[in-house]
Formats: sequence, C-alpha cells, structure tokens
Amino acid sequence: MPLNRTALWYKDAIIYQVHVRTFHDSNGDGIGDFQGLNGKLDYLQELGIDAIWLMPFFPSPLRDDGYDIADYNAVHPTYGTLDDFRKFLESAHERGIRVIIELVSNHTSDQHPWFQESRSSRDNPRRDWYVWSDTDTRYNGARIIFLDTEKSNWAWDPISKSFYWHRFFSHQPDLNYDNPAVREQMWEVMKFWLEMGVDAFRLDAVPYLVEREGTNCENLPETHEVLKELRRRLDESFPGRMLLAEANQWPADLRPYFGDGDEFHMAFHFPLMPRMFMGLKLEDRKPITEILHQTPEIPSSCQWSLFLRNHDELTLEMVTDVERDYMYDSYAESKMMRLNLGIRRRLAPLLANDRRRIELMNGMLMSLPGTPIIYYGDEIGMGDNINLGDRNGVRTPMQWSGETNGGFSTAPPERLYAPIIQDPVYGYQAVNVLRQKASEHSLINWMRTITGVRKSTGVFGRGSIEFLYPANHRILAFIRQLGNEAVLVVNNLSSSAQAVELDLRHYKGNILIEMFGKNIFPRVGDLPYLLTMGPYQFYWFRLRRI
Amino acid sequence: MAEESFLTDDFLRQLMNVGEVDILVGLPTHNNAKTVGSIVHTIQTGILRGFPRARAVIINADGGSRDGTPELVTGVSIDDARPASNLYALRTLHSISTKYANSSQPSNKVAFRTILAAAELLRAKACVVMSPESANVEPEWLSKLLGPIYHDDFDLVTPTYSRHKFEGLLITNLLYPMTRALYGVRIRETYSPEFGFSGRLGTQFLGQNIWTDATNGTGVELRFTLAAITGKFRICQSFLGEKIQIERRSADLVPALRQTVGALFSALEPDFPVWSVVAGSEPTLTNEADHGVLLEPLRINRKRLREMFSTGVAELESVFQSILSPATLAELQQIARLRDEDFRYPAELWVRTVYEFAASYQKSVISRDHIIQALAPLFRGKALTFLTENRNASAEEIENNIEGLCREFERLKPYLLQIWKSSE
Repeated sequence: MPLNRTALWYKDAIIYQVHVRTFHDSNGDGIGDFQGLNGKLDYLQELGIDAIWLMPFFPSPLRDDGYDIADYNAVHPTYGTLDDFRKFLESAHERGIRVIIELVSNHTSDQHPWFQESRSSRDNPRRDWYVWSDTDTRYNGARIIFLDTEKSNWAWDPISKSFYWHRFFSHQPDLNYDNPAVREQMWEVMKFWLEMGVDAFRLDAVPYLVEREGTNCENLPETHEVLKELRRRLDESFPGRMLLAEANQWPADLRPYFGDGDEFHMAFHFPLMPRMFMGLKLEDRKPITEILHQTPEIPSSCQWSLFLRNHDELTLEMVTDVERDYMYDSYAESKMMRLNLGIRRRLAPLLANDRRRIELMNGMLMSLPGTPIIYYGDEIGMGDNINLGDRNGVRTPMQWSGETNGGFSTAPPERLYAPIIQDPVYGYQAVNVLRQKASEHSLINWMRTITGVRKSTGVFGRGSIEFLYPANHRILAFIRQLGNEAVLVVNNLSSSAQAVELDLRHYKGNILIEMFGKNIFPRVGDLPYLLTMGPYQFYWFRLRRI
Repeated sequence: MAEESFLTDDFLRQLMNVGEVDILVGLPTHNNAKTVGSIVHTIQTGILRGFPRARAVIINADGGSRDGTPELVTGVSIDDARPASNLYALRTLHSISTKYANSSQPSNKVAFRTILAAAELLRAKACVVMSPESANVEPEWLSKLLGPIYHDDFDLVTPTYSRHKFEGLLITNLLYPMTRALYGVRIRETYSPEFGFSGRLGTQFLGQNIWTDATNGTGVELRFTLAAITGKFRICQSFLGEKIQIERRSADLVPALRQTVGALFSALEPDFPVWSVVAGSEPTLTNEADHGVLLEPLRINRKRLREMFSTGVAELESVFQSILSPATLAELQQIARLRDEDFRYPAELWVRTVYEFAASYQKSVISRDHIIQALAPLFRGKALTFLTENRNASAEEIENNIEGLCREFERLKPYLLQIWKSSE
C-alpha cells in the first residue's frame, strides 16, 4: 500500500503511539526492539492506523524513559541499530504507514557529550550551549513542572561550580537556544533523520526553549522565532513532512504555535482530554463543549491532535482546582494512582473496563475535530500496574498472546524491562491480541471497524464542526461537514438510556444512514428528530439528500 | 375514571431532558418578577457552593404569572450554551418552569404537588422548596436545608428563624404548642415557605390521598410536616437567621387560619391512632442556634384587637354554643367583659378553647369553615394577651412563656382525648 501522498496527510491520519521497548522483543533479551516492531507492522496495518509515533529510542541513560538523550544521531543499542531502524522505516512505508519520531529539543541528558564539554570548563566552546548562572535566582518567574521531585529549576554543577537551568529533571539540562550554534545543530539532527525518510517529528516541551528575565519563560516570542526557522528550513528541504508540538497549554496559548500556518502543523489538544473523561463521569457534555468553544480557529493547513491516553499521566494541569479534585476523586481514588498533577492510569482501568464506555470514548476521539492518537495496548484494553514507579505502570509490555510473557519476549520473565500485567482482569492471559483477534466482537475488532469507518470519509479529519444543543445535556451532538458531505454524531454520555430531540431543520429532507451498519433511519422533517439511545451509545449518521 | 395527569406534556419533556438529579429546588411562584431573578441566582450560588458536584435542577411551578416570572427563571439555566458570567459550574444546572395545569388560580397545593411529582420522576435524593418572597435568602440556606438530607440521611429539615418577639403569633400560640403536644415532636416552624425533604418522604406524601380532596386542600406544607412525623421519618431543624418578607401581605387572619389551623384540625382525624397514644414531647435536633428573638419596639393596635375579641364573643355566641362547652363559653364571656387594663386570656382557657374547636371540627357540628372563621376573634384575644404579657419581656422570658403554654397544651391533652372520644 503506497503512502498517502497528499500534503495534508496528517489531517486524515490515525496515529499509533508506541515505545519500541514495549512492543516486541525479537532477540530474547527482555526488551522490545526495532526488529520486533518491524515484525508487528502487519498487525498495525490491519488495525487501520496511518502513522506510528515512536517515543525516544536514542542512546540515553534512560532516567526519563529516553527523554534524556545522550546521542541524537543513533539508536540505543538495546533497541537495535540504525540499520534496523532503516529497515523498519522502509517496511512501514511499504504498508502505507508513516513514522513520527521524537525530537527532544529543549534539553539533553547530562550524559550527552555536549553537556559534558559544556560543564568541563567555563572556557569550553560548548559552554554556551546550555544555560549557566552563578546564582540560582534568575528566571524566578518560571514554575517548577515536576513538583514531586524538583525543588528548583536550577541545579548546582560541582564540576564547573555554577548553576545550570533545567525545566524538567535536574539530569536534563536545557539547551541554550539563544546560541545560534545550538539552533544550527538541532537542524542538523532533524536533517539526519529526514534524509533517512522520517516523516515527522514530535517536538517535546516546546514552550520552554528560550528564557527571559521577568517572564514565566514559557511561550516567549523568541521561542516562536526558533520554531518558525526550523519550519522554514523543513518546508524548503523536505516538503510534506510534519511537525507536531507538545505544549501542555490552554488552547488560546497554543494558538501561536500554529503561527500563520508557518510554525507547527499539529499540536496536542491537552485540555480536551481530561474534559472528555470529566464529561463522561458527570454525564454532561458541558466540559467538552466549553473547552471546544474556547478553542480558537487554526490555519486550514493545521490540525489538532487528540488522544485519550498516552505514555504520561492523564495530565490535570489544564483544569481548574475544582475540576482537578473531581477528577482525582472520580478516577484516582488511590493516592498511588496520582503523579505530579495527573493520574497515571491506562484507558481501560480508568473506565472500569466497561466496554461501552471504552467504545464511546474512542468514538468521540475519532469524531471530534483533530487527528486521533491511539496509545499502544489501548486497542485491546490493556491494564496498568500502579505499583511500578513514575509513569512506568502504563508502559508495560504489549500483550500479544496467552503464552509466557504474553508473547512479548522469550526471555525469562524476570529479565523483562518491566513486569507484564498479570492480574486476573487485565493480565495477559485474559487480555491479548491473539485471543481478541479470534473473537468477532472483541475490542480490537471493534477498533478495526471504527478506524475503517472514520477513514471512509474525509469529514472527520478535515470537516467543520457545528454543535447541536439538545435540551438533554447528557447528549453530545454535532455535525461534521466537508463540502456537501455531512455527518451527524450523537453521543450519550449517560449510563442510562436517553431520549433526545435534535433540531435538524437545516437538514430537512435528508435521510440518515447509520455509518457502522449502513442502515437507513427516517427522513428529517419539520419536527425535532427524536432518537432514543442506550447507555453510552453513540451514532454516526451520514446525512444524505436522496 | 383515572385522574387526568396534572403534568403537562411540555413539562414532562423538560423533565426528560433534565434526567436523574441529586438535588431538586422547588420554587412556587405567582407574579414574582421583581424578585425571582435574584432568588434564582442565590439558589444557583447556594447549589454551586454547597453541592458543586451534584446533579441539580430548579423547578419553577408557576400559578399563571403575567409578569414574565417563568421566563426569568428559565433564562438563567447554566449550560454549555449559556455559561454563567459570575458563577463556575462543573456541570449543567437546569432551571425549568411549568404553569401547572387545570388551575384557575395560584395554589400552594398544586405547586407543591407539581414539585413532588418532578422530584419523584427525576429520582431526586434531596429537595428543597424556596419562597420567592423572602427578601434575604442567603446561598447558605441551601446547604442548611439540604445538607442534613444529602449528607446525613434526614428526611425533613424545617427552618428556624430569628423573629421579632411579636411575629408569628399563630405559630407560637397555637401551631407549635399544639403539634408538639399532640404529636410529641418539637418542631418550631411546622408551616414554612422554606424547607428541605428527602425524595423518599416526597414520594410517600405524593402517594397520599389528599390531592383531590378539596376540603383538605389548604395547608399542604403543614400536612407534609405531619406526614413526616406520623411516618416516623427523620426530622431536624436548621437555623437560617433572620427572615424578611419582600412584601408583606395584608394581615388577613382567616385565610391564614384556614391554611394552618384548618390543616392541623383536618389531620387530627386520620392521625388519631398516632397522636392519641403520644405522651409528652421530644426535642428535635437543631443545627446551630435553636431560634432567635428580636426585641425592637413594634407599634401594635391593641385597642383594635380587644374590640375584635369582644365583638366576636358577643356576635358569635350562637356559633360558640355549638362549638364550645358551656363552661368555656361562660369564661370567655366573662373575660370579654373585663376592663381593658384587666383583660387577660388565661393559657388554660386558651388551650381548652382550641381543643374544643378541634373536637367540634372533627364532629363538624357546623360547617368546618365556619368553625375556623369563628376562631379568629378568639385568637385575637389570645394574641393581645401575649402582647401585653410580653411587652417588656426579654428573649429568655418570652421563651419561658411559650414553653409554659406548650406545657399547658401537653397537660390538657387528656381533656382533648376525652372530648374527642365522647364525640365518637
């Protein structure tokens, strides 16, 4: 299957997020690798995804799961070689699957040679590649992000006897983007991978690239200048490639990252995700529609990326205190489930393993404006292990079968990079790909269906959205429209059956065709369109004037 | 033939859209446009402060307002189409209205029935009825009236207020002491425009056979309190502070007697198996202060009260002969002849009077409505005595005097049983 050659491919895509370490181990060392991932591409193709987003796979001391990079131009030896990566990339492209990799641009590992040189002496040519200070009082308007572990954004370096700036862990010194040499070097890193054929970068922690006194050191104009320059060079040399921003900000603060279509192609919509969970628990569409109302228009070439869960905690930074307390009480009754300002759990446990709720949330993910991202394992309803520290509980091995180690690895179980889930509900014997593929009504087969239905029309990726406001607030209903094509989406956020009357006068004369079963529903007339919906049920209707 | 539904289709449709709720606020209105907007805002604030996570709805049962009251209520829902400018709401807060059907005039009974029906259909856990005529409603009132139900599983929360010592004389001289003596429960405000109740109490009361009985139509709030007592529901009181009416209605005593004393007398017959075996009374759990007494001077036309008492005793002699025992009537006629400065309606005589009225009401010696009307001049005499005796009384002294009257009602309860049984 050839790659989708349209320039805006990312608007139509369904992205699958995976860490190579977690997916499949080909050499029996207990750690997933590129050969293993390569061997599972057919599975991903069947799932109906269009792109793979790989978490960092570069050489790293792995003190932050690879987000502490020690060499940007190589593959961590436990995952394979550069050649393994090339083969994986080619295989993915052959299946019509693009590859998005991480560009952890804000900081490096303190083990990176650049930092080692920088700290070696104050006269080192690379001294200025990082942000140094004789005091720890500069930029005191910047918040501390990892509140649970860090007390300051400055760390003392005993070698060069000065402080260095870090917005994340102290072993992750921030690069100095005021230094042109750093900007040039980062472009060289990008070029290295782009020339190999990589299709896109997810740029990590982009709001923090530049620091200025008297500010909170986030979203500064100078940061946008750096990003626009990278984008300009990307478009000139590698048209059709894509940049995805990770910036955990309010929508209005995110808007500048799209620029005039000249900065990022895509950005994560962080505030929407917790509100989808909130709306489901409250059985009320208000949190969802409110945040989408607050979401500004973006240039036509740009796109939001939507997700339900990812490798991090379910972040609650972009909610109010009242909402955060509600989310904690609703979804993280145990303190062990909480981390920083968030909840470190997977999708299925968050939704009490309720198939109807899992389907509804995926239905919303696939039908709201944006490009959906599926986190590996969520397509089969994998569980988590909150006894593992940090966010490792949601990064356990993929469960392929009921065999030893869930078919992930032939290594002795104690050698796995992390214990596989073994509890009676979510354990690999109960939840695995092989078993679900054999069952017609399994979650994975349902996921394959919904990805297929989504891709049967362009409206979900590119269409406009118009909310309907039925008086029944438990119903989230909207019309997605692209040209003459219109789709009506109706979601019942409630645990009970609901009746809803929809004002579809604008579509009078259309018949409704339910997109999963292709059945015809009554024609829209003058009266409000009455639908009855089961608990957590959702409908996608194609509106057809015949 | 089955009774035609008293809920309109449109109202049912609105309820359907609201769905199950945790909290329901009932707001009966009739031409309250001047005040209802601020009352609803206060209610919303109270809900969002006290119960930010609860599913809540405000139900306006309107008696046919012509001043736009319902539109003012429904216009302040908080939802995704209408976010509140100065309130933060986690979820949608519906505010819906219905003009109750088949009613040519405002009726507390129909309004309350509508609210109860909505509470049952929406499976509300905790409900509160609020008055659109209270000038000083505070958001905290919602927590005080709903909290014991929502959090502590009570079924009825009646308010207590800070009142002027001469306000609510019907309550202090008749309703409170008589219900206390008969039912054995000390509830200060058995008849209040604001009160909280549980869904289960509401459902139980909605199922009672009082709604189509025209003679039992008035005083539904008092009947509700009595139903909670006789049904052994959990009751407590919450102190709300001072209560100020927005607009004082003309002090027409007879309708007030019909709504309260009439309702109480009506209940005595079906409730006889309950109250006839009660002895003494028990205090009711009260949150915060029990109640308050305000002592500011108040101008009262005592002469007028005295004239109305004496005139009533003289003009209604033939009526009283049907209602009262000869001894009681003779004593009344005796005190009617006293000089103004010597006038006093003794507590013991007052209690006997009331009990004989209650027994005669049960016997229907004459039209029950006439019995209630005939009580009016006598009550004025008792009120005058209360005013005179407590002119310079402190809050504590007043409370002692009311307590004394209550004990008199309790002491003479056997007399009521005696004349009640003799009438059977």
